Amino acid sequence: MATDDRIDVLVIGAGAAGAAVAWRLAGAGIGVVCLEQGDWVDPRAYPHWRTDWELHRNTDWSAEPNVRRLPQDYPVNDTASSISPLMYNAVGGSTIHWSAHFPRFRPSDFRVRSLDGVADDWPIDYATLEPFFDLNDRMMGVAGITGDPAYPAKSPRQTPPIPLDTLGGTIARGFDRLGWHWWPSDSAILTREYDGRRACNNCGPCDLGCPIGAKASTDVTYWPKALAAGARLVTRARVREITLGPDGLADGAVYHDRDGRVREQKARAIVLAANGIGTPRLLLNSRSARFPDGLANRSGLVGRNLMFHPYAMVRGAFDRPLGGHRGPIGCSIISQEFYETDLSRGFVRGYSFQVARGLSPIASAMGGSVGDRVPWGRAHRRAYDERFDRTITVAIIGEDLPEPGNRVDLDPTLVDGHGIPAPRVSYTLSENSRRMLDHGIARAREALEAAGARAVAFNPLLRAGGWHLMGTARMGRDPATSAIDAEGRCHDVPNLYIVDGSTIVTCAGVNPTSTIQAVALYIADGMIRRRS
Amino acid sequence: MTPGALDARRDVLALVLDTLVPASGDFPGAGAVALDHVLGVAAASAELESLLSRGLEAIDEAARIGGVGGFARLGPEDRENALRRVEQSHAELFEVLVRHTYNGYYGHPTVVARLGLDPSPLHPRGHRTETADGPDLARVTARGPIYRRT
Repeated sequence: MATDDRIDVLVIGAGAAGAAVAWRLAGAGIGVVCLEQGDWVDPRAYPHWRTDWELHRNTDWSAEPNVRRLPQDYPVNDTASSISPLMYNAVGGSTIHWSAHFPRFRPSDFRVRSLDGVADDWPIDYATLEPFFDLNDRMMGVAGITGDPAYPAKSPRQTPPIPLDTLGGTIARGFDRLGWHWWPSDSAILTREYDGRRACNNCGPCDLGCPIGAKASTDVTYWPKALAAGARLVTRARVREITLGPDGLADGAVYHDRDGRVREQKARAIVLAANGIGTPRLLLNSRSARFPDGLANRSGLVGRNLMFHPYAMVRGAFDRPLGGHRGPIGCSIISQEFYETDLSRGFVRGYSFQVARGLSPIASAMGGSVGDRVPWGRAHRRAYDERFDRTITVAIIGEDLPEPGNRVDLDPTLVDGHGIPAPRVSYTLSENSRRMLDHGIARAREALEAAGARAVAFNPLLRAGGWHLMGTARMGRDPATSAIDAEGRCHDVPNLYIVDGSTIVTCAGVNPTSTIQAVALYIADGMIRRRS
Repeated sequence: MTPGALDARRDVLALVLDTLVPASGDFPGAGAVALDHVLGVAAASAELESLLSRGLEAIDEAARIGGVGGFARLGPEDRENALRRVEQSHAELFEVLVRHTYNGYYGHPTVVARLGLDPSPLHPRGHRTETADGPDLARVTARGPIYRRT
């Protein structure tokens, strides 16, 4: 087995968090190598350049690795999960596919135990992360407006907000009539040129990637700067195992290179950034006499407390065209009217409404995220025309609470293309989350009807909605109840860091990438501080 | 099922697709614009070709219940009735057929243009959004902070 020279820090995974850490460490003069199992995505390869672009959403550009089945993907056994995990394996990771909705966690999200008596508090708080939120916003580039009363004051956004257009203006009137909170989404999508990147041309399907770099995937934000600062990025490098030295510290990783050869990269410290499924999978695959149940898993918590954000989808049909094909697919409006705990609602914690754009032609026929396809036969044309470009979908994104039984472990038989055991996901929606989503469905119906919807349909739980993979190696002060400490170090292996969604203690009721990246930058800052 | 078996029955398949999405006004039937897509995805997957071929057999069988012999000999209403019977008896298979038909139909530039959209690739053209003043957020901000202070 070929062994590469020992470097300062090995980062595993080049997505949202790995890119941020690599940039920060390299900029501080620390030698960084990143191993990424995927490759660079050529902007010319995105489906947007073809007339049949929408067909690719359900095949080679699906967000589901089990559908996509590219060589750089690994299978996930999700038969015991009511939500399918989504991810992308490439430089940029799942930011290649994300819709770039970019809210932050709120201050109360870090103090769930103290405020509401459930789950656990984070060992860090919003104020600690605030400078890292701001730094990350500058690196990613955020479109939005300051002044949202749902948050403490934020620093100026880098560009004006994404246009609401007809669709956004329509649902905003519904929220206004009810007297509810709403705000133009913070979106990591540029509406003006910024930092050498182009402005969005409102083409629509950000979930298939962005061919012009207006959307902040980390292959166009952090990575060019990280490489310029001296970081080295090795693509098509799939890590098999993290190795331990005789002192009990992590000393490197065994990986398969793009030619299939097994190599070892030695390092003084290792940063795991492989997402909330990939990271526990790698730890559980790294067994030794010292850690027979998986590396850094003396607590038994590695892989446990998996949180998705469960989504319910509510769609209203209107009597006029809404121009829903125009503009970034995932972004127009957020409402946090029902975000904080109010026990009279029948559940603890809360949720956000996220109003996305309309449905493209094929998605309209198949019912979009509600899944009720248009009937076939003689009734088809009329039914389709009543739906196409005349619907608004309100997503309810609920705060899942950590449950030990919701977990990632290793499948006993399933393996990836290199023969490495694949992850198995077990997830059941909790009663609290169910009540929360049901409340959201009823309120979303009110909002749509207030906006003028003549018919409302809903999906009580979106199966293909596992965008956010969280909680599987969570942060905390107590080694008995957490996998990593407040500085991101594994309690059991102090030179092994985790910076991806696995670290999340409680998952809030908003999309997590902004917070994951802020936490990653905070952890990187600690590494730099301790080194100097 | 031999490779190409579905293609050999393309005339019947076109009628099935036309029954799923009939021509209407300016819109063509699916037999005219989605057939090549359905045959293409079937040709790329032996499993799918076998599935869709079994579907055609089931459709023929359902059509023979009326005693006229074969789907092609039925009138439009009876074709739809035959497909409804197959939808009941072979739900999973039928759903696959409908999905690929819709994919081929609503992915076709002719249909996309009929919907009022530009069928050319999304890039580099993009879309122009309606220009409007910035959103009026006065009512929202007038409430003051709504987050819990910790």
